[in-house]
Amino acid sequence: MGCHSIISTEHSQMQLDIQNISKQYNKSKFGLKDFSLTIENGILGLLGPNGAGKSTLMKMIATISKPTQGSIALDGHDIIKNPDYIRQFLGYLPQDFGVYDNLNAYEFLEYIAAMKGVGGPNLKPRIESLLEGVNLIEAAKLPIGTYSGGMKQRVGIAQALLNDPKVLIFDEPTVGLDPEERMRFRNLISDLAENCVVILSSHIVSDIETIADEVAIMKGGQLLTKGSQAEVIRLAEGKVFETVLGSDELNTFKAKHLVVNTIRQKDGIRTRYMSNEPHAGSVQATASLEDAYLFLTQYKN
Amino acid sequence: MGRFYKIVYGDYLQRTRSYAFLITLAASLYAAYAFVPAHDANYTTLRIGNYIGVSNSAWTGYVTAMMTSVFLSIIGFYLINSNIKKDIDTGVGMIIATTSITNFRYLLAKTVSNFMLLFTITAIICMMSIAVFLIRPGNHHFEILNFITPFLIITLPSLFLISSLAVFAEIVCYRYTVIMNIGYFILLIALLPSAQPISPVFDVLGVKTITTGMEQLVMNKFHLAEAKTGMGFHIGNKGHISLFEFEGLQWSAFYMLSRLLWIGIGFGLTYFSSLLFHRFDVTERVNKQKKQKPLSAETIQAPTAKTLKEIRLGTLPKIKPSFGIGLLIKTELLMLYRKGPKWLWLFNLGGMIALALAPVNIAHQMILPCLWFLQIGRWSDLATKEKTNRIHYFTYASYKPLSRLFSAQLLAGIIISVGLSSPLLLRYSIAMEPLPIISIFLGAIFIVVFAIFLGVISGGKKLFEVLFFFLAYSNINKIPVLDYFGALNKGTNYMVMMAVLSLSITAISYIWRRFEISRL
Repeated sequence: MGCHSIISTEHSQMQLDIQNISKQYNKSKFGLKDFSLTIENGILGLLGPNGAGKSTLMKMIATISKPTQGSIALDGHDIIKNPDYIRQFLGYLPQDFGVYDNLNAYEFLEYIAAMKGVGGPNLKPRIESLLEGVNLIEAAKLPIGTYSGGMKQRVGIAQALLNDPKVLIFDEPTVGLDPEERMRFRNLISDLAENCVVILSSHIVSDIETIADEVAIMKGGQLLTKGSQAEVIRLAEGKVFETVLGSDELNTFKAKHLVVNTIRQKDGIRTRYMSNEPHAGSVQATASLEDAYLFLTQYKN
Repeated sequence: MGRFYKIVYGDYLQRTRSYAFLITLAASLYAAYAFVPAHDANYTTLRIGNYIGVSNSAWTGYVTAMMTSVFLSIIGFYLINSNIKKDIDTGVGMIIATTSITNFRYLLAKTVSNFMLLFTITAIICMMSIAVFLIRPGNHHFEILNFITPFLIITLPSLFLISSLAVFAEIVCYRYTVIMNIGYFILLIALLPSAQPISPVFDVLGVKTITTGMEQLVMNKFHLAEAKTGMGFHIGNKGHISLFEFEGLQWSAFYMLSRLLWIGIGFGLTYFSSLLFHRFDVTERVNKQKKQKPLSAETIQAPTAKTLKEIRLGTLPKIKPSFGIGLLIKTELLMLYRKGPKWLWLFNLGGMIALALAPVNIAHQMILPCLWFLQIGRWSDLATKEKTNRIHYFTYASYKPLSRLFSAQLLAGIIISVGLSSPLLLRYSIAMEPLPIISIFLGAIFIVVFAIFLGVISGGKKLFEVLFFFLAYSNINKIPVLDYFGALNKGTNYMVMMAVLSLSITAISYIWRRFEISRL
């Protein structure tokens, strides 16, 4: 299939199909194990503790890592055998990326555009629009080596949008952004999701909670659950409670229940916790995505 | 003391667990084998006039120790001169800066770990020379002290000095490694044994005093007026060489003191470095140096400029597919151009003018390899900079990364090497001499693919830096076997060999990189 035709295809509905993939490092160590997932247009939030396999999964979809088993297909095209299929409309923001310090932002984006195989007369105005969008137009001619961490992160966001991406992968994208930037970034992702598959991982549950259409929770290289936020939250319903404890009771309490958070008050410590057998005097609380996440990753297992 | 030992040990471990070290070690083993040639070999490494020693313990031990002192002074510096930079790059330095360790203690630990690395290579060379001595036929008595003592007295003090010199150079030239590399090259030419006799006090590598003693011995034994030392790989011309019995030299107190003096100078240099040490306050210094500029990223970060604006993907100007590599080559060239201080280009320009004006054989044999050597920093990370700058996430996920980016890097490097040699190419063109033109082209291609090859297989730039330095030094000393750009080798067979070699290592690099990407 010609590359030109691939890029010019308008995908109203895309489907990324991950079937039984594993990443095995040695006999006993797996990054991912028999993992299956289907992703369609919209935002999928990936949640999981460190070592859950989120970055491994994202690297595989971004074609920089190959599974030892299983298949990944985009709209029926096997991207393990033919990674260049997805690369043409992939936007990827890695967790721990670097830049060439002696290039300026404009030159760096031009370089990434060349690597992505995009150009034409509109490349320059597009780069300028993106730099305007990430608010780096004034600093565009300075070496990236002089940028702050947040500014570099914004260069990373701009590069992900260079090539009219249809699949966007953001691995911990809000690291280095201040609260206002995080809010704007969430808005940006919401806009992008209209015509794209967006996969977003974050340690900050509230980032996912605000924008994700669907949530997948992973642990130990395996998928624990996937569904809409309401479906996932439902798993923790009826198990979240709040009570007020004396400061000397807290340690004993923690040994029996999974404490989600505590707030020190005048009358004691307001404690939110999960349990099948609530403590006397507790009040049932409405479950949140964070509760569901903790329930699945810590309490249930 | 425990903490000091742990820093040295940790440093030592992380550096010996690298491909570059293993490959250097393998090269050192071969060097140890080659330092003392068998009697039927077609080369010599040390000649005293027309004499070489019989391969007894003393001759083998002394020659190996002296050759190691010279060999490691050439390549050792390049192997160890990024010890502090690693702490800067990894961010470990920021943690170290907040601890109570003093600058001197930290830098002394770095000097000692540098020394330990070179000592490891020396110890292995020493063991290899003993093994070669025992394996080679001959009825010479094995005396272990004849092996160990020369290493202890000749080689180790030199290595300690080089270890401290590397630390000093890293502190003084921490932003401009290219100056460090070239500066050492010039210093080394001054340090290496010359024909003129010198006092042991100025005999940094400890070799000249020994060869002078050997010369005296030969002159007395064979009643000669003169017996000049020839050190280095001399191929052929062995017909008129005779043997003499060498049983070692008396170590004079003055010589021993001079060796101790150089160790002391090593300590002093480390102390002096500690007075200049930035203690990882590197960014601040960079900013201070940039404060003359009217605009900086810091000044731009006004509160309103800090946040993202609204981006509507649908409203962005539409782009087209473009699979050419022109823009990649352009950016690679831009990065090569900006590598190192800008004023280094004045040296390049000077070198190109010298190529145009100097006698053609000098331009080809001496100036061209020096001019190319000035680009050591530009070429050394040509194929490894993606990983060291953590760009590989983008490059490996780009469209056809191997055939496009790899080719662009190769071509950009070759454009620089050919461009620099253009005045000489022009002179040969005017003189209608096609063979030297082809040789220079082949050399220009070889040195770039060699950089890429060593970068790809070792995963870093160090190995290329070490070997390129060795190559440049050999080229200036006109060693035919290492002449890769046809200054000494004129035949077409040589050209075919260079073409095949370049093609082979390009193919290996390509396959290696493909394998590397596939097993991420």
